[in-house]
Amino acid sequence: MDAFKLMKELRLNYEQEVHYLPKKTGLSLIASSVQDDGRISAKCRDARVEDLWSLTSFFGYSTQTFVLAVNLLDRFLAMMRIQPKHLSCVSLSCLHMAAKVTEEECNLTPSDELIRIGQCRFTASDLERMEKIVAQKLNFKSFAVTALTFLHLYHRIALSHSADRKETLSLEQLEAQLKACLCRITFSLAKPSVLALALLRQGIEAVRSEDMLEIAYHIQKHLKIADSELLLWSERVARCLSDYASPECSKPDHRRLQWIVSRRTAQNLHSYRNVPELPTIPEGGWGESESEDSCEDGMSSGEESLSSSLGSDAEGPYFPLHLHRQKQHLRVP
Amino acid sequence: MSSAATTSPSVDKVDGFSRKSVRKAKQKRSQSSSQFRSQGKPIELTPLPLLKDVPAPEQPELFLKKLQQCCTVFDFMDTLSDLKMKEYKRSTLNELVDYVTVSRGYLTEQAYPEVVKMVSHNIFRTLPPSDSNEFDPEEDEPTLEASWPHLQLVYEFFIRFLESQEFQPSIAKKYIDQKFVLQLLELFDSEDPRERDYLKTVLHRIYGKFLGLRAFIRKQINNIFLRFVYETEHFNGVAELLEILGSIINGFALPLKAEHKQFLVKVLIPLHTVRSLSLFHAQLAYCIVQFLEKDPTLTEPVIRGLLKFWPKTCSQKEVMFLGELEEILDVIEPTQFVKIQEPLFKQISRCVSSPHFQVAERALYYWNNEYIMSLIEENSSVILPIMFASLYRISKEHWNPAIVALVYNVLKAFMEMNSTLFDELTATYKSDRQRQSDDSAAGRRVSERCSFVLVCSDLELKRGLRSEGSSQF
Repeated sequence: MDAFKLMKELRLNYEQEVHYLPKKTGLSLIASSVQDDGRISAKCRDARVEDLWSLTSFFGYSTQTFVLAVNLLDRFLAMMRIQPKHLSCVSLSCLHMAAKVTEEECNLTPSDELIRIGQCRFTASDLERMEKIVAQKLNFKSFAVTALTFLHLYHRIALSHSADRKETLSLEQLEAQLKACLCRITFSLAKPSVLALALLRQGIEAVRSEDMLEIAYHIQKHLKIADSELLLWSERVARCLSDYASPECSKPDHRRLQWIVSRRTAQNLHSYRNVPELPTIPEGGWGESESEDSCEDGMSSGEESLSSSLGSDAEGPYFPLHLHRQKQHLRVP
Repeated sequence: MSSAATTSPSVDKVDGFSRKSVRKAKQKRSQSSSQFRSQGKPIELTPLPLLKDVPAPEQPELFLKKLQQCCTVFDFMDTLSDLKMKEYKRSTLNELVDYVTVSRGYLTEQAYPEVVKMVSHNIFRTLPPSDSNEFDPEEDEPTLEASWPHLQLVYEFFIRFLESQEFQPSIAKKYIDQKFVLQLLELFDSEDPRERDYLKTVLHRIYGKFLGLRAFIRKQINNIFLRFVYETEHFNGVAELLEILGSIINGFALPLKAEHKQFLVKVLIPLHTVRSLSLFHAQLAYCIVQFLEKDPTLTEPVIRGLLKFWPKTCSQKEVMFLGELEEILDVIEPTQFVKIQEPLFKQISRCVSSPHFQVAERALYYWNNEYIMSLIEENSSVILPIMFASLYRISKEHWNPAIVALVYNVLKAFMEMNSTLFDELTATYKSDRQRQSDDSAAGRRVSERCSFVLVCSDLELKRGLRSEGSSQF
C-alpha cells in the first residue's frame, strides 16, 4: 500500500478512535481508588491484565487479541461499577470475546479450559452470560481501534519510507513494549494514537535513525497531535519501559496460584524429612585410637551435644551420668 | 452345574495376572530358622532361683549361671518339643533383661565373656537361604525368624547391657572384637525386619562406645555396600546400615576427612543405581543431605553423580531421584547452585516433558518451593532459556490436563520473573516453529517426490527383469 493510502487510513482511524476510548472519568476513578475499597482499584486491574497476558501467551493468542481484550475491559470498567469478585469473570469474558473475533477457530481455546487454567471459580455459562452483557453494554460487534492498530500503521509507514532499514525497527519488540504499557492502567488514559506514536518514537530513538524520526514528526503533524501531549506520554512510556527492561525481577506472587498435585505425589512429598531415631555419634578427635576410657576421645571433639540423645528403645542415658559432668567441665573456657 | 473352581484368590489379580506373591503363598513358609538341633533327648535345665530372691553377694554368681543356661539353643521349627524348657529360658531371659536395666554392682569382669558367649550362641548362625531367587523385597512378605521369642529377649538384653551405667568398654573390648563385629554385620542380611532393627541399635551402640572398632566397622560396611552394588544386588540390611551411617555422618568433624569424601563418591552415589532402591532410598537421601550440610563443596560432585546415574527406564526411580534432588536443593548454597544449574535444569527440563505424569508433576512442583524459586529468580536469564522450549511444548501437547495446569503456573512465574527475556524467547520459539513447519512442509514435498521416483525406478527394475522392453519413465 503506498504512502498516500496509508496516511489516509491513518486519518480514518484517528477519527474513529474516540469511539473506542474508555470513559475518562470512570477510568480515573479506578486509577485513584485505594485497594480494598469494595471497588476495583488500579492495582487489581493491573494484576488482572497481567493474568490476561499470561493466558494470551499460554494459549498462543496474538497480541491483537490481548490488546483488544484490554480495550474491552477498560471500557467496561470505566462504564460500570462492578465488585472486585466479578473482575475475573469480566476479564476472562473480554479475552474470550477478543479471541473469538481475532483468532482462527481451530486455535480457539474452549471456555471451560480457559476457566480451568485461569484457576477461576465460575462456570462456562457464567462466562457466556457475562460476554453477552459486555457486548451489549459496549455495543461491541467485532472491531475496535486500539493502540495496536496505530502501531501497525506507523510501522508500515516508517518502513515504506526507508526500505533499507527493514531489520532495525522490530514490530514484535514494539508490540511487546505496548503490552508492557497496557499492564498499567494509566496508559489507558492516553489516546491510542498518541501512545503508539510515543512508543514508535522511543523505538526509533533507540536505533538512532534520523530518517524515521522525521517520518514520526510528519505523522504527528498530520494527525495534529500536540507536542505537549506527546512529550507527556513519551516520558511516561520511557519510565515504564525502563522498569520492564530492568534486570531486577518482580517476585512472582505464589499465593495466588494453586498447585494441585495428584494424591500419590502428594503422599511422597517430603518423605525424607523424618527425624532420625538414632542419636548422632561424634567423630573421634585425634583419629580413632584405642584408649582405656573410650568416651574421653569422644569428648575432645566437642562436636555435638550429647545430652539430647536417647535411643528409641533405651531405658537409661546414652552416655553414663559421670561423663555428662565431665563434659560440662570441659565446656568451661 | 457350578462355575469352574478357582484355587487362588482373585483379589490379587492385576490386569488378569496374579501377583508373584500370591502364587507363592501356598508353598512359602512364613517362618524359618537355621537353628537346628540334632534329634535326641530332650533338653533338661535345672531351674534356678530368681535373682531377686537371693542375697546381693550371691547375685553375681547366679547371674553367671543363668547366662550359661541361656546358651542352650532350642529348636523352634519343631513347635511341640521342649515346651517347658523353652518357657523357662524365656522367663530367665526376661529376668536378665530387667536385672541388667536396674541393678548395680553386678557386672564383674567375669560377666563380660559370659554375656558375649551367651549372645553369640543365640544370635550367630548361618542365615537360611532366601526362599527363592525371586524374593522381591518390595512385594513379598519376609520370612520371619522362628526363634524370635527367645531371640528378641537376647537382643534386648544385649542392648541394655551395652547401655548400662556399669558397662566398661575397656574390659568389653577383649570380647567384643573384630570377629564379633564381622559376624554381627553378616546378620544384617536377615529377612526378619525386627531382627534388623535390633541389630541396628546394637551396632550403633558398639560404634559409639568402641572407638578402636570404628574404622573397622566403616571398612566392613564399605565392603558390604560395594558387594551389594557391583556383585550381588542382594542384601536385606542396607536401610539399617544407612541409618547408622546417618548418625555417624551427622557427627563428622570438620574438615571432612578424605576417607569420608571417598565413601560418598565411591559408595553412596553408586548405591543409587540398584534396582531395589525404594527399600532404602529415604535413608540414603538423608545421608547424602547430611554430607552436604557438613561440606557444601561436595554439592557439585554429588549432583553430577546423580545426573550421571539418572534413571532412564524406571519412572518410579525417577520420582525418587526428583525427591532427593529437591532435598538437596533445599540446603544448597547459592554459589554451588550456580555451578551446576545448567546440567541440572537440562535434566529437569527432560523430566518435565516426561509422558509419565508423576515424573512431570514431581518436577513441576519444584516451582512451588520458595527457596528453589528464589534461586531460579536470581539466575532466570540462564535457566529460563533451558526450560522454555519444553514448557511451551508440553503446554500444548501433554495428555494430562493437571500437568498442563501446573505448566501454566510455572510459565506464569517465569513471565513475572523476567518479562523481557520471556517475550524474546516466545518470539524466537514462534518463529522457529513457523520455520520448522515450513521446512517440514517443503521436506514432505521433497520426500514425496523421492518416494515417487523410487517407486518408478522399482517398477522399471521389475520391468527390466521381465525383459519387456524399455520403461516408459
